[in-house]
Amino acid sequence: MAADKESFLQLIKENKGIIFKICNSYCHNKSDREDLAQEIIYQLWRSGKSFDASYKFSTWMYRVALNTAISFYRNEKRIKEKVSFHEHITDVEDDTKASITEEKINLLQQFINELKELDKALMILYLEEKNYAEIAGVLGITETNVATKISRIKEKLKQKFLMTNE
Amino acid sequence: MEDIELKNIWKEYDRKINEAKLLNMQSWALAFRTFEYMQAAKAKSKLNALRGLKKWMVFAGILWIAFLLFLILNSLSFSNVFFLSSLSAIVVFNVIAVAAYVRHVVLINEIDNSESLIEAQQKMAKLQSSTLQIARILFLQAPFYTTFFWSQKMIAGNWAAFLLVSLPVTLFFILLSVWLYQNIKLTNADKKWFKILFSSREWTSVIKAIQFMNEIEAFKKESL
Repeated sequence: MAADKESFLQLIKENKGIIFKICNSYCHNKSDREDLAQEIIYQLWRSGKSFDASYKFSTWMYRVALNTAISFYRNEKRIKEKVSFHEHITDVEDDTKASITEEKINLLQQFINELKELDKALMILYLEEKNYAEIAGVLGITETNVATKISRIKEKLKQKFLMTNE
Repeated sequence: MEDIELKNIWKEYDRKINEAKLLNMQSWALAFRTFEYMQAAKAKSKLNALRGLKKWMVFAGILWIAFLLFLILNSLSFSNVFFLSSLSAIVVFNVIAVAAYVRHVVLINEIDNSESLIEAQQKMAKLQSSTLQIARILFLQAPFYTTFFWSQKMIAGNWAAFLLVSLPVTLFFILLSVWLYQNIKLTNADKKWFKILFSSREWTSVIKAIQFMNEIEAFKKESL
């Protein structure tokens, strides 16, 4: 049991980045993000027994984390507000110079936030460089469908970036 | 903007996150070591809260049905025919509702977050949306609350009052409950009466769940 807990903690540490990004993409305020992160960690622990070693760990983790985020997102009363990059990364040391990259990260995060729940999940997986087969496995749709949807969403995002540059 | 640029922005985002030394995530992971945290997280879990609510509804429903049955069993006589038939009908509707809530608890236990997003979310949305079906069924019992106090003596004693007041009220409730049963559906969600009837937060999440079911169906479709 203790060994299980230690190895689970190690997995959480290794994958904290993705949990953090999922929370930022599905929640608009800090307290919701913290609640969601706790819920995801709890659900990962709880679902641990359902993990089939013949599957990729990341596929299983993305399924649990995204399912939890979508269920949580629909049930919470959400305040639609524009959140800055600095509010997302709450504990980053203060950097007063907002670089162009930070502005782009902020915009990308904002555009992802505006997507529908399932489109959002699809885009997160795409940006995490998962292949179409794995994305299809996480979502439960065909690879062709994944390809079509990704191309559409990417086009939308590019248009939004272009509009902000004009 | 090229695809690679989108991915590079995301990578940069990833790098910034990893740079942040004091991510809350780490403290949560450390807090996870304690049993107390596990208990708190379990209590806070949304799914557990939903399961708890459904179990409470089953418990309250059973108590209400038991009370109604107690009244029925203590009033068995032909002179109480209106009372007995009204209460029996109310019992039937409540048994259906309790059975539906028991089914919900079973469905919640079957929800597995490690299933694909489409499978798990469909189950979740179906579970929430069926609450609206229970409400439709429960509205059908409304007319029986206007008939349980009827008696042959009351009807014969004041025939005019029965025809002019009691009967129209019951007819009104019959028409209203049947109308609600037929019209409580998502296509009417934008109507004023629907919004008034289902304005609480719990109902909003049920409506959203039904809308989400439609979104899932659209998402599953391959479109070129």
